Amino acid sequence: MSYTTLLFLHVLSAFVMVTAVGMYVAIAVAVRGERHAAPALALAPVAGLLWAVGGLAVIVFGIWLALHVGQYSLTDGWIIAAIVLWVIGSGLGGRISAGYRRARADGGMSLDSATLTLTLLLVLTVVVILIDMIYKPGAS
Amino acid sequence: MTLMIRPDSWNLPVLLHVAGAMALVASITVVSVVLVQGWRADDPGTAATLQRYGARTLLFAALPSYFVMRGAAEWALSRENLTNSKANWIGIGFAVADFGGLLLLIAVIIANIGSRRSREGGMSALTKAATAISVLLVIAYIVAIWAMTSKPS
Repeated sequence: MSYTTLLFLHVLSAFVMVTAVGMYVAIAVAVRGERHAAPALALAPVAGLLWAVGGLAVIVFGIWLALHVGQYSLTDGWIIAAIVLWVIGSGLGGRISAGYRRARADGGMSLDSATLTLTLLLVLTVVVILIDMIYKPGAS
Repeated sequence: MTLMIRPDSWNLPVLLHVAGAMALVASITVVSVVLVQGWRADDPGTAATLQRYGARTLLFAALPSYFVMRGAAEWALSRENLTNSKANWIGIGFAVADFGGLLLLIAVIIANIGSRRSREGGMSALTKAATAISVLLVIAYIVAIWAMTSKPS
């Protein structure tokens, strides 16, 4: 596969992953109003699917890209940092999905504060990954 | 030759452009999913709630993200001395951003009017049009992502 195809698939996967995060945030905001809670939580399975597909694809195409491009190495600091942040993000995403599943099972009237905190942490993690990907600290 | 490491002075505008684009795609996708679910909802109350939710997401998330993406695009182009470039990928980016911006503005207006008109009466025709525009925008933005990453000459 060519560099440009791999880059397109990697970036598209990142957009899918961020879309899932956006959906988690939209649900968290909507759940604060009782009236919007149940319809908003109906989005949770879509967000979970986008997170799983985007998250898996972004790491697969990211590693493939790092192996394909001679200028990059999997042992570069910024790539190791991205992989570590991706692992942290995956853990957060999994726990958030479980939190939304629990909220749906409870009738969608409330969301526990831990899920809200995890959603904020996930946003922060994704922002740091994006900064790492753009600035590539330590790359020459 | 493809440039893989950018000069430091290009990074901030590129970061803001990509972050704005990601927030825009995320919010438009949220709107599409919400409005499609509202269209399919049997209960008029649920449909009204979802279209109000979609209309507000367009106004408070998609529109500000668009301005960040578009403004940072101009900044990045000026930093990279590409303001007068005739490259295809920049042309595709401008076409999607500007025509898409017009469609986004139309969607924001008609979705918000539609959600006020419908109240508890199910999905209005205006909101159905906004749903179609949102889905079209998601497709257009995937084309823009392809153009920005593949940079066809």
